Amino acid sequence: MSAEHKIMQFPVKSPYHPETAENVLRGFAAFQAEQADSAELTDLRIEGLNYVTQHGLPTPKLEGWKYTNIIPAVRGFDRLGTVRVSSNTVPGVIAQPLVKSIVEQDWVKKLICDSQTSTDLNINPILWHLANMYFRDGVSIDVPANTEVKEPLEIVMECDDGAFYVVHTAIRVGANASLTIIEDHRGKGKFWKNRLSHITVAPGGHLTHIRIQDDSKDAVYTQNTKVTVAKDGHYNAVALYTGAAISRNQIHVLLTEPGALCHLNGASLMRGKQHSDTTILVEHLAPHCESNQNMRTILDDQSHGVFQGKVHVHQIAQKTDGYQLSKAILLSEGAEMDTKPELEIYADDVKCSHGATTGRLEDEPMFYMRSRGIPEAEARALLIESFVAEIFDEVKGEEIREQLLERVRGWLEK
Amino acid sequence: MLQIKNLHAAIDGKEILKGINLSIPTGEVHAIMGPNGSGKSTLSYVLAGRDGYEITQGEILLNGENIMEMAPEERAAAGVFLAFQYPVEIPGVQMTTFLKTALNAVRKQRGQKELDALDFLKLMKKKQKELSISDEMLKRAVNVGFSGGEKKRNEVLQMAMLEPTLAVLDETDSGLDIDALKIVADGVNALRDPKRSFLVITHYQRLLDYIVPDKVHVLANGKIIKTGDAELAKELEKTGYAGLTGEAA
Ligand SMILES: Nc1ncnc2c1ncn2[C@@H]1O[C@H](COP(=O)(O)OP(=O)(O)OP(=O)(O)O)[C@@H](O)[C@H]1O
Ligand SMILES: [Mg+2]
Repeated sequence: MSAEHKIMQFPVKSPYHPETAENVLRGFAAFQAEQADSAELTDLRIEGLNYVTQHGLPTPKLEGWKYTNIIPAVRGFDRLGTVRVSSNTVPGVIAQPLVKSIVEQDWVKKLICDSQTSTDLNINPILWHLANMYFRDGVSIDVPANTEVKEPLEIVMECDDGAFYVVHTAIRVGANASLTIIEDHRGKGKFWKNRLSHITVAPGGHLTHIRIQDDSKDAVYTQNTKVTVAKDGHYNAVALYTGAAISRNQIHVLLTEPGALCHLNGASLMRGKQHSDTTILVEHLAPHCESNQNMRTILDDQSHGVFQGKVHVHQIAQKTDGYQLSKAILLSEGAEMDTKPELEIYADDVKCSHGATTGRLEDEPMFYMRSRGIPEAEARALLIESFVAEIFDEVKGEEIREQLLERVRGWLEK
Repeated sequence: MLQIKNLHAAIDGKEILKGINLSIPTGEVHAIMGPNGSGKSTLSYVLAGRDGYEITQGEILLNGENIMEMAPEERAAAGVFLAFQYPVEIPGVQMTTFLKTALNAVRKQRGQKELDALDFLKLMKKKQKELSISDEMLKRAVNVGFSGGEKKRNEVLQMAMLEPTLAVLDETDSGLDIDALKIVADGVNALRDPKRSFLVITHYQRLLDYIVPDKVHVLANGKIIKTGDAELAKELEKTGYAGLTGEAA
C-alpha cells in the first residue's frame, strides 16, 4: 500500500448545456406579459421556462440524442412567430383554437396541464417543456363518442421565414368513435417548428393519423407526440417525411388497457444534407395489447437517417404482441443510417420481435427490370416506391393512399 | 443477325467465356447445350448487358451493330430479350404495372406510340390466355409467390409482350411439368417468325422435340466445342458430354 492516499475530486460532468437555450429564452418575459389567460397556464409556462433554463436545449451529449444535433440549426432563432393553424370543416368533429378550448373545456386543460413527461432516456422532455413555456398557438380536436367520421380532417400549420414556432395539439377520440387526420406541413423558408401533441383514444375509438412532413429544406422540425390508447382502441399513424433540413420525431405511445393497439408506420426520404430522426417508445401497460413499428428510410447524397425504437413491456402486460422493423436503403456512399432497436420486457408470456436492416438497392431486380427495357432511373424509382409503399398498406382510403404515393413519386422525380 | 466473335468475358478476374464464336441468322433457332458451369448463363447475361462482366476480347453484333456499349434497357429496345434461368422476385411491384412500364418503355425507345391502359389490357389478356396465366397471378408482385413453372411461363409472357428480335431462353424448360412444357413450347413456337431469332439454352433434348432447332451447339468450359443439327441433341442424350470434353461424365 502506498503511504499517501489522495482523494481525487472529479468535476461532475453534466450532459446539459444551459447556454444553448439563451436565444429561445430571450423573448419569454415579453411573451408572458401578453398572455392573459389563467394562473394554471402561467404555472405551466413557468415550469417549462425553469426546465429549459436549467437544462438548455438537447445536445448529442444526451442519451437518446447521440445521433442528432439540432444545436447548429436552431442557433439563430430568437423570435417567436405565430403559427396559423387551419383545418377543413368536417361534420362530427369539433376543432377549436386551443386558447379558447383550454378555458372552456376541462379535457383540454387536463390533457395539456396534467400530462406527465416520460422518464425514458430516449424521450427526453426538454422540447416538451420548451413547447409548454410558449403555450399559445394550436388546436384542439374532439370527436364525441360513437361518432364515425367519414371525411378526413385536414390540418395545415403555416409558418413564415425567420422565426421559431411552437404549436400544441390536443386530440380526443371518444368511445367507439373514429377519425382520420391528415397533417400537411409545407412551410416555406427558414424556421423552427417545435410541436407538442397530446392524443387520447377512448375505449373502442379509432384514430388514423397521417403526417406529411414536407417543410422547406431549410426548416427545423421537432415534435413530441404522446398518445394514450384505452381498451380496444386503435391508433394508426402513417408518416411521410421528405422535408426539413433536420427533424426529430419523438413519439411516445401508452397502451393502457387490454386490447389497445398502435401501428406506427413511417417513411423517410432524404437527400442533400437532410437529417431525419424518428424516436419511438411504446409502453405496454396492460395485457393483450398489440404494437407495431414499421420504418422505411431512403437516403441519398449525404443525408442521415436515425431510427430509435423501443418496446417496453411492463410486468403486467402478458400476451403482448410487439413488433418492430426498420429497413433502410442507402443510395449513395455518403449517406448514413443509425438504428437503435430495443426491447425491454418484464412480462414472460409475450411475442416480441425486432429487426433492422440497412443496405443498397439490389442489383438483381434492377437488372431484371432494365433487361425488360425499363430505363435505370425509372427502374430505381419503381423499386424505391414499392419499398416505401409497404407502409401505406394500413391506410384505408384509396384516395389518401394514392395521395401519399403521389408525394413519393414527386420526391423521386426531383 | 446475331454475330458473336471471339468473345472472352471474365468475372472478378476469372475468365468464364474463352473465345466464343456464334452466328444466328435471322429467323433461325439455335440451341446451346453443355455441362453445368460451362458458361451458358454467363453468355446470356453478357448478351443482355448485365454489369460486372469484363469483356476482355471480341465483339457482339446485332444486325451489324455493336451492342457492347449499350445499357440493358437499350438492348431491350434494340430487340434483345432474356428469359432468365432464375426469374427475379420484385416485392411490391405489381405484375401488371411492371409489364405496362416495360412495354411502354420499349415502345417509346423504339419510336412507337405508348399504349393506353385499355389497349395494354387487351393485349395482355390475349397473350395471357395463350399461356394459361391467371388474372390472379398478374395481380401479384413480380414473381413473388410464383411456383417454378409459373415463373417460367411468366418469362414467356413478357417475351410475347415485348416482341424481341433476338430471344435468349435460359433453361426455360427446367422445372416445368409436361403440360406446362407444352404450353411454353407452343408459346415460343407461336413467336417463331422469319424476322426473329432464338437462342435456346437447355439441358434436355425433350424441349427440342417441341422447338426444333436449326442448329445445336455444345458449350464446354467457355468454348463452343461442337456444332450440329437437331440430331446432335439426340446423340448427346445418349452419350453425354464425356466423349466431347474428354472428361469422365
Ligand atoms: N459472380 C461470379 N463470380 C465468380 N464466378 C462466377 C460468377 N458467376 C458465375 N461464375 C462461374 O462461372 C461459371 C459459369 O457459370 P454459368 O452460370 O454461366 O454456368 P451455366 O453453364 O449456366 O451452368 P448451369 O447449367 O448450371 O446453369 C461457373 O463456374 C460459375 O461458378
Ligand atoms: Mg445456367
